[in-house]
Formats: sequence, structure tokens, C-alpha cells
Amino acid sequence: MSWKIWSLKKSVWVFHVNTGACNNCDIEIVNLLTPKFDVERFGMKLVGSPRHADALLVTGAVTAQAAPRLREVYRQTSKPCVVFAIGACACGTGIFKSGYHIVGPVDKIIREIDPNAIIAYVPGCPPKPEAMISGVVKALSVL
Amino acid sequence: MNQEELNNRLSEIKDKLIDIEQQADNRIFLLCEAENSYAVNKFLFEDVPLRFVIATGIDSEDCFEILYHFSNDETGCFVTVKAFIRDRENPAIESIAPFLPAAEWIEREIHDILGIDFTNHPDMRRLILADNWPEGVYPLRKDTKLPVRLVDDEPSGRPIVQSQSPACRTVKLSKPIVAVGPFHPLQEEMEFFQLTVDGEIVTDIDMRISYNHRGIEKISETLQFDQVPFLVSRICGICSASHPLAYVNAVEELAGVTPPDRAQYVRVIINELERIHSHLLWVGLGGHFIGYDTVFMWAWKYREPVLDLLEEITGNRNNYGNVKVGGCREDIPNELIPKMLKELDKLEKKTEMLTKAVLDDPVIHARLKGVGTLSKEDAVKYAVTGPTARGSGVAIDVRRDDPYAAYADLDWKVIVQPEGDVFAKAVVRLLEVLEAIKIIRQAIKKLPDGPIAVEVKEIPPGEACGRAEAPRGETFHYVRSDGGNRPIRHKVRAPSFVNVPSFRASCIGQHIADVTITLAAVDPCYSCTERLAVVDGHNNVVQDYEALLKLSREKTARIKKEIGTPQLKLEDF
Repeated sequence: MSWKIWSLKKSVWVFHVNTGACNNCDIEIVNLLTPKFDVERFGMKLVGSPRHADALLVTGAVTAQAAPRLREVYRQTSKPCVVFAIGACACGTGIFKSGYHIVGPVDKIIREIDPNAIIAYVPGCPPKPEAMISGVVKALSVL
Repeated sequence: MNQEELNNRLSEIKDKLIDIEQQADNRIFLLCEAENSYAVNKFLFEDVPLRFVIATGIDSEDCFEILYHFSNDETGCFVTVKAFIRDRENPAIESIAPFLPAAEWIEREIHDILGIDFTNHPDMRRLILADNWPEGVYPLRKDTKLPVRLVDDEPSGRPIVQSQSPACRTVKLSKPIVAVGPFHPLQEEMEFFQLTVDGEIVTDIDMRISYNHRGIEKISETLQFDQVPFLVSRICGICSASHPLAYVNAVEELAGVTPPDRAQYVRVIINELERIHSHLLWVGLGGHFIGYDTVFMWAWKYREPVLDLLEEITGNRNNYGNVKVGGCREDIPNELIPKMLKELDKLEKKTEMLTKAVLDDPVIHARLKGVGTLSKEDAVKYAVTGPTARGSGVAIDVRRDDPYAAYADLDWKVIVQPEGDVFAKAVVRLLEVLEAIKIIRQAIKKLPDGPIAVEVKEIPPGEACGRAEAPRGETFHYVRSDGGNRPIRHKVRAPSFVNVPSFRASCIGQHIADVTITLAAVDPCYSCTERLAVVDGHNNVVQDYEALLKLSREKTARIKKEIGTPQLKLEDF
């Protein structure tokens, strides 16, 4: 394990990117911070800039207008950066698959600029907060 | 105005109309040619006057139709002006935005998706399609071949962060610009506002949206009537009970179906639980914006038991997928009722405590009173709905005005505050939580036995409007059927679509420090509005969102220092 990965796994700071989600996954992500789930006890924290982030929590099916901004956010993160595709839309565009304004899913857009990106998937519509925590833990344990 | 007076008023403009169709007592369609639509709409909005709901553009093969929906809130009557545009080559119609600002966005949207030109429109920039969407391709025209290949004109090196589309208003470089958004911390959605400032005072506000446009109206045309509720519940995660309900209200009206009594009550209970968790969510975020993070944590903690109840009833914390045409999919098990009542009792105490804390805190009074005021006149002009309207003294509530589900049998109050500032909107939401608890208690008490759904075999050809009172305001759905098993047009108007443009009335003239809370006060929902905001790398961006949040919190801290913090004891909680 490289020291970069080793250091990444301690107290992951995450940045939240909404790329055209229905708000559900996003609310559940904010829910992670509140007393019932409280991920800050694991050292996880939502940060305000992609430059501070170890991981991106991406929600939504990626609309045409959001795709270039998602790529830009990914470019701004320091590498290695783990991308979490949160929810059915982010994992595979979900119910919006046939939408004319959808260019996703998330992994396709990220791989266009970084073929070796580390991408983890948390399916569900929306995934329960417990599922998100479990997804993050599982992804970090296989790195 | 009662129904008879309305009918009399409508007969005054008979000479401008082709026909008046009356499907039901409170559903009236006025058919006219495109050139008369301006006069008819002006008459309805200014002289009658009716509340503008939304417009729908339809490609009906041989012509285009623009439907302007108006509502008479005293009788719950929909008056729809149906204007026919016969020229398919160069479709054009006169804009009604000059006298009705509420129509500005929807005309831009119809221009984007159907290519109809609105003459005399003040600001015909692109609204909901992406910057790189090709010109002249209109996704909702029936003859457009989809999917469209989008040209990604992003250079390989440093990307263009600033949008190049004509939709982005050219900015005068001499004035400082404040960009609010887009990917900003702790707000669950992105939003982008461009504020022009003079010193500390906001002089102009502009919005660019489209980031969350998923083309739901088009996807809906490919789904069967029974599948659509699953799609529309995913318009917005927080309104995932009201959108399907408004849709089934429309389809049930079209099919002439009445769901069983028990289903009506189950619908009420689920919708009111949704209202409670949505309003508590807003109170939490509002607290966060002015620097009361404790309120944020508390309100979201109190919200959790509501989500647990919803999960027990429907199987999911959000996106319930519970209503269907003809009834409900999941019943409320009778064993769950004692638990629900217990949780409601607990929740009522907590909400009363929160309400008292807000109403009694001199700092919150000083911080929120007189801030972001939306006057009653502006509220009417921008046709806002929900708590945004009720906080400005406009007493409208679909649950009372055009009752659906079982609301007509229940006893509750419409909360109205006349001031129009952020404080009034906060009070409206907090008191509405208490009303919602009251409604659920009554609904549980009256919950009849029996089946929860009837079978619906066919949806006949025709058109219908349905609406429901979502936590943010009136959700409106228009459905047209040709007798097949799919809708041929499905228009959705979420409350934020009319509430968000009212920022122009409430933000201009405000201090920058007050902008975040003013923007948050309408509880904007961008996934509902089908749009989100952008990274703007403009050279003279002087402040980002975090700086604004800081300003807002500093102002609260300053006020606190000046008037002292009230001493709260642990026993109060």
C-alpha cells in the first residue's frame, strides 16, 4: 500500500457533488452529519472545496449541463481521490436513463478524463444513510 | 368570487374566444386563436382577477397549443386558456410576461423545448437546456429525433468554467459581482446566483439554471399511466408524496375514478408526514444559515422518527411510491397506529419548544424581521405559492381551496402571516407543522376500514389538471391522454418554479449578509424546478458562498452581542 493510500484512509474528508439528483440522496448525505448517524465521529467531514477533499460523493444521473462541471470538480481534487457514486442514478442513470438531457452515468464521465479513477458504487433509491456508511467503509477497506 | 360571478365575467370576453368548454363546474377551458391570447390573459389576470398557475406548451401534430392555467382560489376553479398557433414553420405568440412576471420563466422554457417565439418577451435567454445543446433542436416536438448528440466543446487543457452560452447575461465589468454557488458546503443542492452589488447592497440578481434538468416530462410520455407515479416521485426527494398525488388527482379526474375512503385518508397521513419532515428540514437549514447550528442538529434529529414512520408504512424513508391511479399501494397497518400517536405526541412537544424558542429569541427577531420582504403585491405578481405566499399574507392553500384526498372532512387552519419577511415565513412553517400533527391525529381517528384501491381499466381520451399542496406550495400536473396507455403530454409545475423568481423582488436592496437567508426562505427546491447552478469563474467574483455564510453568521453574532443572548435552561428542553 502506498503511503498516499494509507493516509487517504484516515479521516476521509468528503465533498458533495449534485449532478442532477432528485435531492433525496443529497438530503440523506446531509443526514449523515446529524445526531442520529453522526459520521464526524469517524473523522469524516463534509468540506466546502474539492481541493480539501479525499473523496467525492456524487449523486444524480449527470445532466448535459452538469457534466463539464463534474469533470472540473474532479480535476480540482488532489489525487488519489475516491469517487463514490451514491444512488441508483449516479450508479447507472436509473429511472432517467432515457432522458434527452442525461449524459451520465457518473463513472463514464469521470473515466473520460481519468481512466484509472477509483470509483465505488452505493446503489439504492435513495440508499439509506447506513448503506452509505457501509459503502464507504467497504470501499476503503479494499483499497 | 363565486362560480356564478366568474362565469359572468368570463362571458364578457366571449367575442375573443372560439369556444368555452366546461368539463366540470370548476374546470373551464377557453379556446382562442394565438393573436387573442394576450388580451384574454390580460383580462383574466388584471380584471377578473385570477391567480396565474403556469403555462403548458403542446405539440399537437397540426398546430401548437399554449395552455395558460389560471386558478380562482375561492372556488378551486381552474380556468385554462387554450391558444392555438397554426403556423408550424414560424410559431409565434405574444408574450404575457410584460404584465405578468410569473410567466417569464415558463415562456423561456417553452421557447427552449418547443421553439415557440414569444414576441415582446423581456429576456428570451436560454433557460433549461444545456449550454452545448444545439440550436434549433426542440426536445418536446413530436418530430424531433432523440437522443441528440451533444458536442462537447471543452478544450483539452484548462476547462472553461464560465458558461459561454448566450443565456449567461453579459456582465458590466465596472460593477462588482458576487457569485453565490454552485457546489457549496452543507446545502444539499447546488444553486447559482449572480448578485450585482453596490457596496453592501444588492442591486440586481440573475440566475442560471438547467443543471438539474432531466427531461422528466418527455420520459413520462414513454411510460404507462401506472408507471408514471414512480417517475414523478423522483422529481424531488422531499416532495415525493405530493408530486404523485397531484398526478393521480389529474388522472383520476380524467378517468372519473374515485378511490376508496381508506385510500383517501392514507394519502392525507403520508402527505402530512412529508410536510412535517420537510418543514423541520427547512427550520434546521434556516438555523444553520444564521449561525444557529444547534437548531440545525435538533430539527434534523426530531425529523428522524417521522422518516422511520414513513419507512414502516411504505418501505422507504423517501420516494414512497405509495399512490397509484385508483388508490394506494400500501396500507397503514392498524398495529402501527399506537406507535404513530406516541411519536406524534413527542414531536408536538419538540416542535412547540422550537417554535417558542424562535418566537421568544430577541436575536432571531432582530436578525430576521424586515429581512427579505416580499410584499403582497409582488407575491401576486410573481404568483408565488405555499408558505412563501402565506408568509406574505396571500391566504391560498390547495388543501382548503380545491380539496383532494380527505382534506374536506378534516378540521384545521390555514396559517397566514401578513409581514412577508423571513421571520413570517419561518413562523408559517413552524405553525404548519403543528397543524399537520393535528390533521394526522384526526385522520388516524377517522381512518375507515375497507379496501385501499379500486381497479382502473382504461384512461379515456381527454385532458385534466390535478394539484396538491406540497410542503413548498402548490404542485400542479396537467395530463393529456389520447385513449392509449401512455400520456401524450404531461406537464409538471413544481412550487419552486414560481417561488424562485420572486428573489428579484425580495433580494434587491438587501444587504449581502442577508442574502443567504432570504434565498433560503422560500425553501427553494431546484430538482423540482429541474435546474441547478454553475461554477462561474468570472474574473471579478469577489465573494463565494462560504464568505457569504460567514458574513451572515457574523451579523447574527454582532446582534447577539448588542442585545445579549437569552438564557435558556436545560429544563426547557
